[in-house]
Amino acid sequence: MRLPKSIVKGSVLMPKDNDSPFLLDMHKRGLQNLDRMARYPLSAPVDLVVVGAGAGGVTLAQRLARAGWRVVILEKGPFWDPDRDWVSDEKGAAGIYWTDPRIISGNDPIEMGKNNSGVGVGGSMTHFAGYVPRFHPSDFEVRTRDGVGVDWPISYWDLKDSFERVELELPVAGQDWPWGDPHSYPHGPHPVAGAASVAWQGALGCGIEMRVGPVAITNGVFGRRPHCIYRGFCLQGCKVNAKASPLITHLPDAIEYGVEVRADCMATRVEVDESSGRCTGVTYVDGDNIERFQPADAVAVCGYAIETPRLLLNSQSRRFPHGLANGSDQVGRYVMVQGATQIAARFPYELRMYKAPPPEISSEQFYETDQSRGFARGFSIQTVGPLPIDWAQHVLADGHWGQAMREYMRDYNHWTLLGLLCEFLPLPENRVTLASETDRYGMPVANFSYSLCENDRRNVEYGTNVIEEIWESAGAQDTLKIDRYAHLVGGCRMGFTPEDSVVDSSHRAWECPNLFVCDGSVFPTEGAANPALVIMALADRLAGLLKTKRVSAPPAARKKEPASLRR
Amino acid sequence: MPYDFAEAHHLPNRRLPEQAHADPYDLPRQRRGVTPQMHGRYPDYDVLEQADHWDEVTRRVVLERVGSVPEIRFFAMEEVETLTAFADIVLAQDSEPRIPVLAYVDQKLFNGERDGYRYFDMPDDDETWRRVARGLDEEARRRGHDRFALLPVDRQLEVCHGFATGKLHKGAWDTLNVSRAWSVVMRYLLQSFYSHPWAWNEIGFGGPAYPRGYSRFGSPHLQSAERETWEGKEAFEIDPVEDTQQRGLE
Repeated sequence: MRLPKSIVKGSVLMPKDNDSPFLLDMHKRGLQNLDRMARYPLSAPVDLVVVGAGAGGVTLAQRLARAGWRVVILEKGPFWDPDRDWVSDEKGAAGIYWTDPRIISGNDPIEMGKNNSGVGVGGSMTHFAGYVPRFHPSDFEVRTRDGVGVDWPISYWDLKDSFERVELELPVAGQDWPWGDPHSYPHGPHPVAGAASVAWQGALGCGIEMRVGPVAITNGVFGRRPHCIYRGFCLQGCKVNAKASPLITHLPDAIEYGVEVRADCMATRVEVDESSGRCTGVTYVDGDNIERFQPADAVAVCGYAIETPRLLLNSQSRRFPHGLANGSDQVGRYVMVQGATQIAARFPYELRMYKAPPPEISSEQFYETDQSRGFARGFSIQTVGPLPIDWAQHVLADGHWGQAMREYMRDYNHWTLLGLLCEFLPLPENRVTLASETDRYGMPVANFSYSLCENDRRNVEYGTNVIEEIWESAGAQDTLKIDRYAHLVGGCRMGFTPEDSVVDSSHRAWECPNLFVCDGSVFPTEGAANPALVIMALADRLAGLLKTKRVSAPPAARKKEPASLRR
Repeated sequence: MPYDFAEAHHLPNRRLPEQAHADPYDLPRQRRGVTPQMHGRYPDYDVLEQADHWDEVTRRVVLERVGSVPEIRFFAMEEVETLTAFADIVLAQDSEPRIPVLAYVDQKLFNGERDGYRYFDMPDDDETWRRVARGLDEEARRRGHDRFALLPVDRQLEVCHGFATGKLHKGAWDTLNVSRAWSVVMRYLLQSFYSHPWAWNEIGFGGPAYPRGYSRFGSPHLQSAERETWEGKEAFEIDPVEDTQQRGLE
């Protein structure tokens, strides 16, 4: 008998082709099967080298390894053991952000580091808040519908199965979702803490609906991943293994199927064969500062919106004098961030917003274009719960220092926040280029230039007013505003022609047949949703397209029994 | 005067323009643990008493922050003097005990730790700090004193106000984007100040919460249900004079 999905929630529903939750230990957070990890020699090509062990790279590797591919992942940062390496402390978490030098420029320079850039195995998802909304069907055709941006070469329906598969693997907890393509989630909604319930009341008071979730945080035991303990340090790395990152959702299974992760290895060039124009492998600098070359039949660059373009731009050769796959000057262009202005509100009673996950409730009621607002596309509204250092930045942004700063800080427990996620439009001049200065690997650092357009500004302005209304209706006594930005996508977008994009609808570089890009940088537009789930879904789809198309002959069959049966 | 933190008129944005800052020395004196300047809203709350409930890695990091103040290795002595005076003003640390913020800033700069970005029109963070120190002393000389640290407090406040609003010019300031320099130095200072458990005591933050987590984060309408048993109680409606008399403390 098939039970309706809505009543089969929690641990009853487990992913079919991913044993990761069973390969972990209930009481230790680090991976338990590292001693079984494959080691491939540098002397022979592997089937695929992946650059970057984040949402795109690890998901792709796990899928292809199950299809028999021999995969090596190069990761610039450390192989995290959350027990040993992560601390339940805001300042102490500095190591999990990408803090190598980057230059920011343009009219609206985007602050990097902890705001949007991860490092180490698991990528930025180790410190993402946890929101995993789907894109709406409209996101894939904004040019056709709204006359702005570009259409994607794929549709929502090409990704729908992938969304469902990944949501089950993370797993996602939340209420039934009424917006976009309505759907439900494998885990039920988390309880709503006091701070978020005030926002909920305020929203209801002005006719705005919110829903609990969707967050990639276990609400119930999931294999050997424990239930969330609501300690509020999602952005500092989850020491509980409750919040999803590919480190725990896909890598344990990938290792069982022969994926090797080389941590502390910075890829510096994708090498090409000058005569055929195919790539031959990746040059990298390892943890001992020695330059090495891993030959491969195919390369997938999964370094996210700054590092992916930077690596391709730095991979210059006679055949590709302006950087690999950059014959049409598209690499590094159309990078997008989302407008993420936050407004804090003050209430007479204590709310203690540091408790419970910062991502709690959200609304996509303003997601779609509404001509009457005077701009194209829309925004989401989500709760956030900054810890003291972040809260201090908030107070500073509103213009306070000295006694005034201390006064607002002492008032911390009376405050709660709502944030916007505004869809910004893709612009060619919002781009990553190589600067003249170099980093410790001798590689030119990225210069990331950003300037908002009029549509972006109107979107943020409108959204800000909506949140102000919510707080007014909730009875807030005071508000503080910070203008900020979140997420990074674009930079190597997928498209219909080699002239206006870097890769085709199957993530393959137009100019290099065995080079793939599989991360947030392929997004042609960004929606008003957090990108993590979409990146994983794209990797899932790409793996489906590739898995029978391995370039070299399959190795002698390795017998693999499901890891969950082995213990 | 008794406190009523249910009302918001103590907040800077809510005060009438002619109203002076609320005097923090009217707040309750800290009775357990330490807060910067010993005032705060949670007089009987010391987050460090919870250290036994933290995981060992976190405990080591946080206790070391309190227990061993790093020695100055990056800044020169004169810079330390100037920047300490500046940090005291912008963080309102006007008496002991003070969180030694500049020592943590110095440690971060000395170790070459950065936050992952640099504005195209700014030097590296370490150079920004040095130029700010130079600029502050230049402002002092324009006001007839050799060093920023020697300026009277109201003149120091005036310089800081100019800095915060991007209105300082000439000398070192012309080699910087002043508003961005303000955001750089404040980022370092705020990180140093609000990562310190003394500041957590002052604001009633729960601190590291692993592996214990939280079980009480319920409705704001159930006043007693929202707080863990060990979390600090806010000093509502307690007059410090009456309170200390009642407790026979003075």
